[in-house]
Amino acid sequence: MAAISFPSEAFFRELKRLMGERGERFRALGYFDVIFGVHVTPDRPGAPESRFVLGFDVFDCIRADAVAAFGNDVDFVLEGQLAVWREMLENIKGRGAADIAHGINTLTHFGDALRVRYDDPDGHDKLYRFAESIQEFFNLAAHVETTFPGVERAGATARA
Amino acid sequence: MAYLSTRDFLDDKAYLDRWQYTLRTGELDLSWMNVATERIACRPQSPRRGLTFRDLDVGSYGFSEMPEIIRENRSFAPRGAAMPDGLPDAQADVNLKSEVWAYNVEGYYEEAMSRQWNATTDIPWAELAEIELPETIGKAYAQLLTFLTEVEMIATDVPAKWLGRLNADFFEVKNFIATQAMDEARHAEVFRKRALTTGFGLMCASPHNENNLKFLRDGDSFAEVSLGLHLQAEGMVLTLFRFSEFISPTEADKKLFRLVMQDEARHVGYGMQHLKWVIDHFPEKRETIHRYLDEAENFVFGAGYCTEVTEPFIILAGKGLKRENIAEGIRITRRFQLKQIEEYFERLTKCGLPERRERSKLARARELMQAALDTPVGS
Repeated sequence: MAAISFPSEAFFRELKRLMGERGERFRALGYFDVIFGVHVTPDRPGAPESRFVLGFDVFDCIRADAVAAFGNDVDFVLEGQLAVWREMLENIKGRGAADIAHGINTLTHFGDALRVRYDDPDGHDKLYRFAESIQEFFNLAAHVETTFPGVERAGATARA
Repeated sequence: MAYLSTRDFLDDKAYLDRWQYTLRTGELDLSWMNVATERIACRPQSPRRGLTFRDLDVGSYGFSEMPEIIRENRSFAPRGAAMPDGLPDAQADVNLKSEVWAYNVEGYYEEAMSRQWNATTDIPWAELAEIELPETIGKAYAQLLTFLTEVEMIATDVPAKWLGRLNADFFEVKNFIATQAMDEARHAEVFRKRALTTGFGLMCASPHNENNLKFLRDGDSFAEVSLGLHLQAEGMVLTLFRFSEFISPTEADKKLFRLVMQDEARHVGYGMQHLKWVIDHFPEKRETIHRYLDEAENFVFGAGYCTEVTEPFIILAGKGLKRENIAEGIRITRRFQLKQIEEYFERLTKCGLPERRERSKLARARELMQAALDTPVGS
């Protein structure tokens, strides 16, 4: 399969497809009902930024869309610089799953690597109600040949 | 044996005659077939999701139209069943909907059932058995796990204690509380198992923590208990689980904390939606809630920030006991404790208690932490 660039709608649609292929794994984890955003911010002034909405219902990913702005239906947004996303995805690709420094909870905990944006604490808590499913979803990136055109590597490991 | 039958059925001729007559003649009474209960059709709105409690929210079986005061059902009759004369008064302690109800409680129940996991088989124990933790880290981790086992044992006892005291009409809440008791039992199990696999065993019980747990266990009403347990204590513990995942020494430990945080976040969700229900429907209860929180916050500060809880965090976050490790551990732990209080106030604000930020004694703790963040460790 041809490599897919990150960030792109094609990348998240590939994760969506892979989740469908591994339905039994996600069914075993249980209902997964959340809509969240991924905001990839630029590493340098003037570089483009991207926003994606990922929607999950019952056991499936039902939405993986690039958007211009996040709507009110989004429970929370994971936000961070492109270099941080690159480091996380390369770590997953290299190991098959995130290591102790590159899990979503670890990267977002103090907001130094990735940040969690939210208006409603109930929506925010869905990041934790579905923590294992969300981590498994991102771990699917281990099966995607991903390229990062024009992206610098950066030390993204979570630091408090 | 406090409750005795008013009849000895094997000596009751009328009862025996009726039973034997049916079996001898085949003449059935069938009066139970003629009750005037409602006939409805329930189908899953989503076949992928299955048949949920929300799909059963229909007519007299539903929960949306349930009144605030449950006057009719004093028995164990499931909501919607016919209630003939002679049903016992089950003497439920909680008969007011506002004491237990929460927006989306039926959804939290279904989510709980769907997302159950198994502490025996879902954690890679064999992988953990190969990992030897350095003594300082291992002891600090074992102390944290001892504290968490203590917490989760009482978090099991509390919902279990109240389960049978709720009116049978609160079917969805009772089922949700049952899942919570199961969740908490699994948490106590997984923390005990992990403590005993660190190689250091259990460490020291915490008087401060246990006094807070006693306060939670002995709440006067379910509404108090829910406020103290679901929203305040579990809210604090949810942030603590997330921090514990953050500082966990292995991938398997991180998975363990991800799994427990899922359950905990669901309990906090119920607590928030319950408090929101109360504030929306009975705003006059606001002052009562504040008075309870005044004491609950005192206890939780004593429990959550005491020596035997704070020091393991410092060691685990700083990864050791050298001066530089401790300085780093304190820096990280300060941020965690500040975050814990911030998230607690955020939840209360969302539930309709924004003024709690100003009234709470924890605001003073937050000020002390904020000031400490700007102060170098050791100064």
